[in-house]
Amino acid sequence: MQGGTSVRLYGLEWPKESARISRVFDLLVAAILFLAVSGAFHLHYMLTAGDWDMWIDWKDRQWWVTLTPIMAITFPAALQYVFWTKFRLPIAATFAVVCLLFGQWINRYFGFHLWSYFPMSEVIPALLIPGALVLDVALLLTGNFLFTAMSGAFAFALLFYPTNWFWLAPYRLPVEVMGQLVSVGDYISYAFTRTALPEYIRLIERGTLRTFGGHSAIIASFFSAFVSILMYLAWWHIGMLLARVVTTPNALKHFMGLTDKDEPAEAAQKAIDGTSLQGRSVAAE
Amino acid sequence: MRTFCFHESSCVRVVLSAAAAIMQIGILIFVPDAALAHGERNQEPFLRMRTAHFYDVKWSTNETPVNGEIVVTGKFRLFPIWPVNLPLPEAAFLGNGTPGPVLARTESYINGVPAIQSTKLELNRDYEFKTVLKGRVPGHHHVHPMINVMGAGPLLGPGNWLTVTGNESDFKLSIKTLSGETIDNLETWGLGRVFFWHGLWVAIAIVWLVWWLRRPLLLPRFRALTEKGGDRSQLVTSTDRLFGAGLLVATILIVFFGFQATDTAYPRTVPLQGSRATVEPLPEVPEQVKVAVNKSNYDVPGRSLRMNVTLTNNGSSSAQLGELLTSNQRFINHEVSQAMATVDPNYPKELLPPNGLKVSDSRPLKPGETKTVDIEAADAAWETERLSSLINDPDNTLGGLLFFYDEHGKRTISNVSGPMVPVFTDPDNRTAENPTGGAG
Amino acid sequence: MSITITHSAKSAAEDRTQPLGNFKLAAGVTLAVLALMVFWRIFQQVYAWSAGLDSTEPAFDAAWMTLLKVELSVIPLLWVVTWAYLWFTRDRNLGALKPREELRRYFNLVLFNFVYAFCVWFATSFFAEQDASWHQVVVRDTSFTPSHIVLFYGTMPLYVLFGVGSFLYAMTRLPKFATQISIPFVLAVVGPFLILPNLGYNEWGHAFFLMEEVFSYPLHWGFVVMGWSVLALGGLLIQIAMHMLEVIGRLSQEDQASVATQR
Repeated sequence: MQGGTSVRLYGLEWPKESARISRVFDLLVAAILFLAVSGAFHLHYMLTAGDWDMWIDWKDRQWWVTLTPIMAITFPAALQYVFWTKFRLPIAATFAVVCLLFGQWINRYFGFHLWSYFPMSEVIPALLIPGALVLDVALLLTGNFLFTAMSGAFAFALLFYPTNWFWLAPYRLPVEVMGQLVSVGDYISYAFTRTALPEYIRLIERGTLRTFGGHSAIIASFFSAFVSILMYLAWWHIGMLLARVVTTPNALKHFMGLTDKDEPAEAAQKAIDGTSLQGRSVAAE
Repeated sequence: MRTFCFHESSCVRVVLSAAAAIMQIGILIFVPDAALAHGERNQEPFLRMRTAHFYDVKWSTNETPVNGEIVVTGKFRLFPIWPVNLPLPEAAFLGNGTPGPVLARTESYINGVPAIQSTKLELNRDYEFKTVLKGRVPGHHHVHPMINVMGAGPLLGPGNWLTVTGNESDFKLSIKTLSGETIDNLETWGLGRVFFWHGLWVAIAIVWLVWWLRRPLLLPRFRALTEKGGDRSQLVTSTDRLFGAGLLVATILIVFFGFQATDTAYPRTVPLQGSRATVEPLPEVPEQVKVAVNKSNYDVPGRSLRMNVTLTNNGSSSAQLGELLTSNQRFINHEVSQAMATVDPNYPKELLPPNGLKVSDSRPLKPGETKTVDIEAADAAWETERLSSLINDPDNTLGGLLFFYDEHGKRTISNVSGPMVPVFTDPDNRTAENPTGGAG
Repeated sequence: MSITITHSAKSAAEDRTQPLGNFKLAAGVTLAVLALMVFWRIFQQVYAWSAGLDSTEPAFDAAWMTLLKVELSVIPLLWVVTWAYLWFTRDRNLGALKPREELRRYFNLVLFNFVYAFCVWFATSFFAEQDASWHQVVVRDTSFTPSHIVLFYGTMPLYVLFGVGSFLYAMTRLPKFATQISIPFVLAVVGPFLILPNLGYNEWGHAFFLMEEVFSYPLHWGFVVMGWSVLALGGLLIQIAMHMLEVIGRLSQEDQASVATQR
């Protein structure tokens, strides 16, 4: 390489133009990932834990606290596999939950509020960012998915309730309505009615044996943390599975009018299997 | 207002000037408040005829300003011949069938018991309800009282058009908490705190993301990891680790102290309330007139239900058949003045078929007397409300309530139910489109 | 029909003046998609309330069923036209593809995937969760309700257009995708597509036994599993990264050779 026409990135020579091209590629892929993760993660989340997330009177101390981290750790874990093992980027969990939160806020405002008249106070999404930050940093510091599961995934679930208590507490103040004790959140959803989600259909804490001094949210958090570890391990491997580069010969090749001479150069083809960039050996994972 | 003005000339102009497909849509802009229900006609007729029958429903007013009140009262009976595919009302909730939360519900009661929680209800028993609604979104809204039954879904009472006037921004729903806070408006309560905490964490997350994204990202990092000579130590530096560790500590500290501060700010909170209310039904009134259905037909071309019934008066006073109520349609026998007197002027006209109920013998049934009569309920509502689709259902048993009145106006209610046999043709060449028969 | 792409004999230096990919077309299509999404949302705001509350009304038929018919006729037509165009204009001489042109096509593929992801976001996030709010407005309705008519019969067929389109683009214009079918790419396209047939399961459940609209019911999990396949975009990303590094490598070798020749 000629001096001044190349740059050194992470120890390797890059022609300046190639470095510029790679930066354009970065930006495009970042945009694609933002949209795709926001869409897919949001779809997964809304259809597995969405009812708790959508409504202020579903955010209970048992099911919301238990289910949300379990269902929310999925995409962060799968993406951590890709981001970390392929790019050494410890940002997957934070990236995923920011994407999710973006989709949720857009929706709660444009869909629930502007279209369907629900007040914003009834439809606030849960916060997952602190847990995701800890999950990312756990991977950064341990560099190992098992240790990350044991520490980061555990913390991801444990931090969920206290994180959300910041903003949720005002909706759990007691009020008297028709001589009954209810929380502000109960009353908001009672007042601003839903036609297809009556009170009885809420899957919420209905009373349990009190342990841990009566703090059912703590019990739920610990159980959630345990399952989150398992979910993390499972989804790390789902990420591994879906990030595998697997190809199969194109049966339509000849039908497309391609002949053997159209095969890419041997060196190029080998790149698929993990060889050769500028004559140097590549050890693709 | 969320409704649209009707200007026929404008409508014609638009129709003429727009392309064919657009025309069809464009017309709608000028359609006045069409009698749009909200999905109830898609409920199968047996479900509407044999679950909750609402009666004596009254609206305190049909129009209110934003923040003004509308009180809806009435009664309902859960029909004993309950559809076999629906669960029994082990858990039920007094709902509010509105097109979205255009009215806020501030109070509701079943038999005087607050209905903020769900309750168990009993079949073949009557309940009294009251719902207080507060105008919120200006417009012309179709609103029903409603009972939600677990597994059976929403069971609707009669829908009425209610008008809310004024500005939406004036709406307020205030309440004082038991811990002393005054909530000015529940719509916006707590949002400042929500925005602050969500905003703070998003900002921190963005800092973390930008920390990594500012550097050459995908191809260079991928290459450095997969190619000899790539310097992995530059991919994740000790500064990165230090920054990450700092962020970890900061995150945990913010959460910990934030939680403590929140607990200090709101020391008295309660969990979501999920108990069940206990509601006793209204005192049971013995059925004075026993009704046996001998035969029932739905005349498809004539759009009428015809029943041959045997009535037995087991009471001590006379009884005159005044009304058939099914699927919120009130077929009233015009020959019975007591029945006619029960019609509230605010009651929706579309639920009062003009021909009413024809009874072959409307004379009062004396105590102990048994009489067989033909009754006929003919109206286009059978088609428009899609009740005639009963003939396409796997369960074609119809159901309703018959209201009888004695000479003093005292009312008793009997259940009526029986299989329905359709009549598809008749000698007068009547059709569903041309129920009077004849040419054209 | 036989349209063949031929490779110009431009020198490497001339090629450099060409843009990296067809950004203008991608921007135009993205804006068009955005305009369509905005149209759908405004249509919902106006006609969901005035004509969309009861599917038995003539007004519903005029507004919503018309929209449905337009969607179900125009979008499949776009499928046929776009996919046929990509197929019939395929490169029949891939062996002669220059690295710079190949790199440009990789960027076009990435841009194609951007438009795909843009549509997927509107479908699976914006219009999907909005559906949950609309079900709390209507009491009970048919499959053809204002939220479904846009979500299932509008946005989803639209992303299928770009998903399959991007796959065909790669298969017909990029040598490595032409000779070898990428399984992650297939998953990333077929999975979201299968959400449409899965609608049959959803409607079956709602028609026969589920009267209430709880989003987390297992009845909806078919959509979830199909949505997971979007993660296969990760595999595709790795594959494209590997291919592009290889092409960039060849390109720099070619440039070096060109400089040496000029000397």
